[in-house]
This record gives sequence, C-alpha cells and structure tokens, in this order.
Amino acid sequence: MAPVIAVSGLVKTFGSSRALDGLDLEVAPGEVHGFLGPNGAGKSTTIRVLLGLLRADGGHARLLGGDPWRDAVALHRRLAYVPGDVTLWPGLTGGEAIDLLGRLQGGLDPARRAELLERFDLDPRKRARTYSKGNRQKVALVAALASDAELFVLDEPTSGLDPLMEAAFQDEVRALRDQGRTVLLSSHVLAEAEHLCDRLTIVRHGRTVQSGTLAQMRHLTRTSVSVDTARPVPGLADLPGVHGLRTGDGRLHMDVDTSALDDVVRQLAGSGVRSLVSAPPTLEELFLRHYGDDVPAEAVTPALAVR
Amino acid sequence: MRAPGTSLAGTGTLVRFALRRDRVRLPVWIAVGAGLVATQSVSSQALYDSPQDLAAYAASVGANAATIALSGPPVGLDTVAGAVAFEISSFVVVLTALMAASTTGRHTRADEEAGRTELVRAARVGRHAPLTAAVLVSAAACLAMALAIGAAATATGLPAGGSSLLGASVGAAGLVFTGVTAVAVQVGASARAAQGAVVTVLGAAFVLRALGDVEGSWVSWTSPIGWAQATHPYSGDRVLPLLLCLLATAVLLGVAVALLDRRDLGSGLLAARPGPASAPRSLRSPLGLAVRLQRGALAGWTVGLALLGLALGGLAGSVETLFGDNPEARAFLPDAASVVDAYLATALSMAALLAGAYAASSVLRARAEEAAGRAEPVLATATGRVAWLAGHATVALAGASLLLLVAGAAVGTVRALATGDSAELGRLFGATLAYLPAVWVLAGLAVALSGLLPRPAAALAWAAVAYVTVMAFFAGSLDWPGWVDDASPLAWTPLVQVDDAAAVPLAVLTILAAALLGAGLAGFRRRDLVAG
Repeated sequence: MAPVIAVSGLVKTFGSSRALDGLDLEVAPGEVHGFLGPNGAGKSTTIRVLLGLLRADGGHARLLGGDPWRDAVALHRRLAYVPGDVTLWPGLTGGEAIDLLGRLQGGLDPARRAELLERFDLDPRKRARTYSKGNRQKVALVAALASDAELFVLDEPTSGLDPLMEAAFQDEVRALRDQGRTVLLSSHVLAEAEHLCDRLTIVRHGRTVQSGTLAQMRHLTRTSVSVDTARPVPGLADLPGVHGLRTGDGRLHMDVDTSALDDVVRQLAGSGVRSLVSAPPTLEELFLRHYGDDVPAEAVTPALAVR
Repeated sequence: MRAPGTSLAGTGTLVRFALRRDRVRLPVWIAVGAGLVATQSVSSQALYDSPQDLAAYAASVGANAATIALSGPPVGLDTVAGAVAFEISSFVVVLTALMAASTTGRHTRADEEAGRTELVRAARVGRHAPLTAAVLVSAAACLAMALAIGAAATATGLPAGGSSLLGASVGAAGLVFTGVTAVAVQVGASARAAQGAVVTVLGAAFVLRALGDVEGSWVSWTSPIGWAQATHPYSGDRVLPLLLCLLATAVLLGVAVALLDRRDLGSGLLAARPGPASAPRSLRSPLGLAVRLQRGALAGWTVGLALLGLALGGLAGSVETLFGDNPEARAFLPDAASVVDAYLATALSMAALLAGAYAASSVLRARAEEAAGRAEPVLATATGRVAWLAGHATVALAGASLLLLVAGAAVGTVRALATGDSAELGRLFGATLAYLPAVWVLAGLAVALSGLLPRPAAALAWAAVAYVTVMAFFAGSLDWPGWVDDASPLAWTPLVQVDDAAAVPLAVLTILAAALLGAGLAGFRRRDLVAG
C-alpha cells in the first residue's frame, strides 16, 4: 500500500537558519508512527510543511497521495490536526471552538463529542481565556478525535496533560489504530512513544537519524544486565560485545550487545546465578546514544528556561 | 506579626518596571493630549482675533445645545483662552481618562490574566504592591499630562495661571478614572469586562455632564468630567472642584484595596458566567468566525460614528451663523457655493477617514490572528487561505461601508430636521456614497500589505491612514508638490455638494481597491504563515 506520508530530503530555511536539512519520513497506512526528537529538531516545522502552512524549499513531500501545498484544502478534509501549542480565541468558549474547528474540518459526531468531553473532563462552557494549557490542548484533542479523519497529525499532544488524561489519550490513540486509522505522533515524551508507536522516526537538527520499529532499533542497542553470582565469572571482560563491566552493591553490571547476549548467558550459567536482571534499552538510552553529549543541555535547558 | 509595609514590598521595583514597559506608550498619550491643546490654542487665536469675531462665536456657541453637549459648560467665552478651554477640555479629559484606565488595567488584571503577576508575586513582592505600583504609574502619567497641557497652553500664548489650572483639571479627572479602574479590576470577571465597565462609567459621566451643561443644572456635578470642567480655567479659576476629584480618588482607591483583600489572584469578585457549550449555527465558516471576532468592535464604531454624525450635523447650524461673514474662517474650508456645504464636506471627509481607519484595523485583525497562532488551527482544516483572509476582508469592507453610511444618514437626518427640508437626507446620504471607493482603497491596501508584507503590514497600513488624514486636512495649507496630495484616494473623491459627481475617478478607485484586494489574497495564498 502507498504510504500515507512520504517525505524525502525535505529542506526548509528561515533566513540563515536551516530548520529542515534533508529530512526523511515515511508513514504507512494504519500505523501509529512516533516522530521523536528534542525541541528544535524540526518536528513542528515538518508537520507545518505537511499541512501546507509552510512551503518547503527543497525535497519531496506527499500526503495521502496529494501535494501538501497545492491540494491543502482537499487533503485537510481527510485529516485532523492537534497543534503543539494550542492558541484559542479568548472570547469563544471551549465548546464553541470545538464546534467551529469540527465544522470547518467537515463535521463532527455530536455523540462522540459528548463522550470525549466526558472522557477528558473538559467544561465546554468556559471562555478560552480562562483555560490552562492542558485545557486548551483538550479542546484541540476533542475537536480532532470527534472527527472522521483518516489521518491524525498530533504535535506533542500531551505536553500539558496530567497522567490521568495522558492515559485517556493513549486509549484513544489505540482505538484509532484498531479502527485502521493512521496517526503521526510527534513527541519528546519517550515513554508515550514506547507505549503507542508501531514505528519511530528519530530526528535531530532537521535530519532523520533513525527510522524503524522499536524492535529494529533495539537490535542496534545494548541490553543492560545486572547479575549476582555465587562465584566469580571468568572471561566476561574478554567477550566481544560486553561493555562497561563494573561491580557495585556486590553485583556485576554490564551493557551487552544483542548479538553477544547468548555468549554472556552461557558464561554466567556455570557461576551459580542468584539473581539476574536484564532490561531492554529505553528510548531514553536510544536518545542518549543518538544525541550523546547534547542530551543534558537540550533536555534540561527548556525546563529551566521559564519565561 | 508581619512588619507593616510588607504588603507593599517590591512596589518600587514594579514601578520602575512598569515605567520601562510604558516608556513609549505613555509619552505618546501625553504628546497627543498636549498637541491637541496647542493646536486648538493656535487655531482659535487665529480665528477669533477680533472682539467682534469672539462675540459672534460666543453668541452662536452659547445657544447651541449640540456644541455644549459635546464640549462643556459655556463659560469664559468672552476671551480666546476661555474659548480654547471650552473647545478642547472635554476631549483631553476623555483622552486622559482612557490613558489612566488602560495604564491601571494593563498593570493589574491584564498582567494577572497573562500569568505574569503570579511569577512576580512569587518573588519578594507584597500583596498590595502590583496595584499600588499600577496606581502610582497612572498617577504619574496624569501629573505629566497636567504639566504638559499647562506648558502647551502657556507656550502658545495663553495666561499661565489658567493654563496650569486647565492642566490640573485634566490630570485630576485622570486620577478619578485611575481610581475607577482600580475598583473595576477587582470586581470584573475578566480584564476585558473590567475595561468595559470603566468605559461604561466614562460614557455615563460624559452623558450626565452633557445633560447638566445643556440644562445648566446640578446634574453636571454627578460627573467627574463635570468636576474637572467646573474649575472654569481662564474665567472663574476655581480650585475647589480639584479637591473633589482628589477626595473621590482617595475613596475609590480605599475601596479598591479593601476589595483586593477579598478576592483571589486572577479572578474578580464577580464570577465569570459560563458561556454556551456549543457554537451557534452562524459559527461554521471563516466569514462566520471573522464576524464573531469583530462584531463587538464594529458595534462600538457604529455607535461612535452615529453620534459623531449627529454632532457634526448639529454643528452645521452654528457654522452658518458663525462663519457666514468671516473670510478667514472660510479660508479653512474648501471653496464652496455655501459655507454650510463646505463644512458638511469636511464633516463627511472626517467620517470617511474614521471609516478608513476602521477598515485598516479590521483587516489587520486577520494579521493579528495569524501572528498569535490562531490562523494555524483554522487553516489546518478544510479552509483555504483565500477564504480565511477574505472572511476578515469582507467584514472590513462591509463594516467600513456601514460606518460611513450610518454617519451620512445621521448628518443627513439632523440637517433635514434642522432645515425642515426632507430632501437634505437624500442629498447628504448620496454625498456619503461618493466616499465609499476611497475607504475601500484603504481596506484593499491593508489586505495587500497583510498578504504580501506580513511583518510590516500593520505599521504601513496605519502610516497610509495617517497620510490620507494629513492630506485631507492640511494639503491646502502645506506647500508641497501636487502629486503628494494626489496619491491620496480622498483627493480623487468629489465633494458632491461642491463638485459635479465625477464617475471616472470613483470607478478608478473602485478598480484599484479590487486590484489591491486581489493582490493581497493571491500573496497570502503563496506565502508561509508568519507567526509573531
């Protein structure tokens, strides 16, 4: 089947800064595709190009088989969008904004709207100027989820939601997948992508650094192993694929390449294993490997830089 | 026990911060106020330079209810200085009240709603500090306005004592409205509601003052504007009304502080009423959204232009008695068969300029929506670029046309009643139609700028309105090359009472407006959305 989103070599510059620098992204029909990267990696810019709000300077982008710039209006009938930073009209109530956006998109299901308002615990009678960031986000989510779109483009949709609402959101995304709809979910919340996504694309500095299923990516990464044995384990340090071998708390810790797991387990077997903990790499670790030294700076600064 | 004064901790820092944020705003307000007084002073001294002229003026104005309702009590008209105070004081009082209201509101509830106060209050800043700082800044601005007006009047040759009193009266009225706003921001459900309440109080104060002055009754004393004008600068020179203003300010501020202690940060004493849970049927298209967003402003402008039309129409009578045999006054007006028609042409030009200013502000609303990021969610739906911008442009064109026609109908109605000739209504309404193309050009220009040059669009569109205004009123007295004036669309608008209706320039203006509109829509279709 033809991909729902096919982007290759996408370039977008703003003045002298290159927001997108040859980005690739492919989203297959019916999948929940995670679009991951730190702030400023180009996720929102890519989405704005896909929505025809920005015009690409280079590369190719196809959306639902059409040209995102030229066929914008026709394509938008088939998709629903939740912006990362939802700004609403201060004088309109949440309910009015939901109805307006729903009607402009091509109509929404009133029963579904009521169900979602209940689900996300949103009071539709309040003026948008009194809403918190999370509530504004809920307005956009309800308007999008109550529509009958084929493709859902969600740009960091949970950044203002509390954990309970995040769980409700995740249920809704799973329901969309079960109905065979396609979801592009941009996020820097790694656990969210880990829970929801069939495939991932990781971007950084406007380029795609990696793309594939979570399993495929784990293939490239190391399993962390922590073991307590009755006797010392000989020869571990000499095994290829074992990294960072160290002792602490009376246990042995190491990071093991997936290809070397079998050898390590064989080696441990004769040493009287009392306890063994092995953990698959989290996306956090994937990020750490891709961004290396940048992570502390990029992950910490935005949280502190409160205006 | 907390040390006394803790609740005011940080006030000094907040005052300095507010003055820095307002370092452009406040000087502009004050310069406009002083400039109005200086302009009025110079032009009155030129107009009424003989005792006969002044006597004719006093006789005419003293008998004209419309002028008194607009200006104030007709006192001190036997001197030019008194005439200046009569003509300008109500305008500068309203201006200063608006300055005080916006300054006080901006640094209190508006900041609270934006979440800035929370951040500030979390620092070592007392509970009363933000309100105190806002009041101090507003009071300082009123004082500066008072000094500037006094200086402007004195510098243009009016007696220093009366000039100082004129300035002090205006500043005192500003203080009262600082107090009114300080109370309103404690009570109102939102910053916007509070501002609306202050404007309502200001409107009521103006109406009460007008009623009292027309009847010559005590009713004027129920209005702070009446108090400010009761000082009678240049004639009575009374100081007591100023004390009344200060007393009222003190009471209002006391009430504001008491109310502040009884409310939560970010919400007023009146709870916000819940709104509708679902949208009305009309809110289903880009045009429906544009109408919804702009209807409040349009309603305000419509009332304003209707009142202005009634006032300008009402003044036509005194123009006739006043300027009929004053050649110098006639020099200010276009050549005309009759002085009244020339005056009416100027009045309609004024209405047209205001309609043009509305058109620019209405089109720029679209640009403001885009800059605030509110165009993005709409354009991500099945809404085309052209439909979105055309929605706002439609409101601008239709709204500006409505404003102009309302003003024309108001002028025509008053004239028809005054002259007893019902044909006047049709004639003046018809004359108004000729201004439509010029207004459309200003709207079209704002659309073209928004579509093609989004970042400087607002500045350039307002510069165009300012240019057309200057050309309309001063082109005759400025010795500039002809093309400078000819570039203004109003220069091509026939003054129907004066000229023969000229269809060709009007058709050209209409085509130009359409071309600008088309260029703007096409430009918007081709460019990126520009936030900020």
